[in-house]
Amino acid sequence: MAPKSPTSDRTVLIVRKHHWLVRWTHWLNVPLLFGLIATGLAIYWAAPVFKHAPDPVTGSRDYLADLGFAIARLTGDPSGGRWVYEHFGLGTGQLAGALRLHWLLAYFFMLNGVLYAVGLAKGGGWRALVPRPSDGAGALQMIRYYLGVIPHALSKKPWPHPVLRSKYNALQRGAYFTMPLVGALVVLSGWAMHKPSQLGWLERLFVSYDGARIVHFACMLVLGSFVVPHVVLVVADGFDTFRSMITGWSTRVKAHDREA
Amino acid sequence: MIEKPEIPEAASGHAIAQQSRREFIAFTAGILATAAGAWWLLPDRTKARLLPGAARDRLDTLAARVGLSGRNRELFLDRALTFDDDVAEALFSRDRRVRTYARSETTPLKPNYHGRPPLPESLAGWTLTLDGLASGRTERLDASALARFPKREQVTRLVCVEGWSAVAWWGGIAFADLLRAFPPAPGARWAALRSQISRDPAGRPEPYFVSIDLPTAHHAQTLLATELSGRPLPLAHGAPLRLVAPVKLGLKNIKAITHIAYQAEEPADYWNLRGYSKYDGL
Repeated sequence: MAPKSPTSDRTVLIVRKHHWLVRWTHWLNVPLLFGLIATGLAIYWAAPVFKHAPDPVTGSRDYLADLGFAIARLTGDPSGGRWVYEHFGLGTGQLAGALRLHWLLAYFFMLNGVLYAVGLAKGGGWRALVPRPSDGAGALQMIRYYLGVIPHALSKKPWPHPVLRSKYNALQRGAYFTMPLVGALVVLSGWAMHKPSQLGWLERLFVSYDGARIVHFACMLVLGSFVVPHVVLVVADGFDTFRSMITGWSTRVKAHDREA
Repeated sequence: MIEKPEIPEAASGHAIAQQSRREFIAFTAGILATAAGAWWLLPDRTKARLLPGAARDRLDTLAARVGLSGRNRELFLDRALTFDDDVAEALFSRDRRVRTYARSETTPLKPNYHGRPPLPESLAGWTLTLDGLASGRTERLDASALARFPKREQVTRLVCVEGWSAVAWWGGIAFADLLRAFPPAPGARWAALRSQISRDPAGRPEPYFVSIDLPTAHHAQTLLATELSGRPLPLAHGAPLRLVAPVKLGLKNIKAITHIAYQAEEPADYWNLRGYSKYDGL
């Protein structure tokens, strides 16, 4: 359905999608996570947890530095082993500055997460995120659909989107349900590393100090890599979906009457 | 089913267009504010890499005009650090013991100090000077005086601010025992620990100093260590006497201590002066 022109005062059918707290905290996650990853990598640089015996050529003990060397060699970049740290992080040799920023952003990230949960509760949005028994089959159906999109577009054959009775398809639901959990896990593993003496039980939950570091790093990768398909699919889905996360409503009214 | 069906509602096209405009303006303002804030908070070295000189200076001047100056950034980030330190202090409990390990679980401990260890000759005639005592006197204790205290041993984890950690087997005396034998003056809340024989990376004398709150000094697992792995401390690990406070970051675990002074005001701290936090509770 095409959006109505702003001057007409006709009646428009809309569907309320997202509570304002959910929308604001959703967008705040972008700079917060970006900053947390950039500062986190600058902290990680000081003492990598994924390391090996020194490389005879580069002297590197750090897999991320190795990756940097490989990329820099391909692109002719002079940064060498610093490549990953300089392109995804604040850079090298800035531990004190990175720590201050990381704590600042981490407190805001935790506050943001709480407000997001409040928004989900107040707006009832949590209901759409709860996994259901049909999700296994639904996920397979969506994967089959996504795999078919490009071949069908090329051969100009119709390839209808699976009919949905819920706000999200099973893949979306899985992702949107998982991300807050990963967010909670990244916070918990962060505290386990930050206060292993006072929160010893938390450190033990991650087995050891380095266990918490590995989980923290893995959560960062999950959160970071979620963004790619998330953005691609929103762009593919169209303006209405993007707008609904800013205004809260959608003019895309589901044809549940058709299904009913 | 938990999820309720989406019920479309009728809205005035005019009203939702207006609301949409409001939300998009707020969204754009949010992006601009975030960009300004991010530029403000970025460390100078990162900024220098992102943008060459003249443009960077113009942006910085512009930001400073609306209050986003480098000075204000430091004040703001320092406040974030003190807030985090206050959280650490609130979490601290005098009675909570840190995890201990078996001697077989020790891991290699690298001497990580950026400076050089003290010269062996600086240990000749070493004494520990105590100041700020209830007695009003200045006490000088040598190694044999310290050896009269009960010996404690523990295997605990040392956690470096850099992110690495190591499990080590320490031996020495409890800081609490020293505090009992030589009580601080009433009103003292801090211990200023100092190494006068510490050296910088070029080998020049450079004192190292940390602030330790008295509750931490009293903690049952806070040692003044003289041994590592059952042997006398090597120079690189803080001979003849070092602090082992597993409730603090490694950088508080000062090596080659020569002076302890108890005082009411919070003493200066070597790494805090270099941009790190100060309470450093783990």
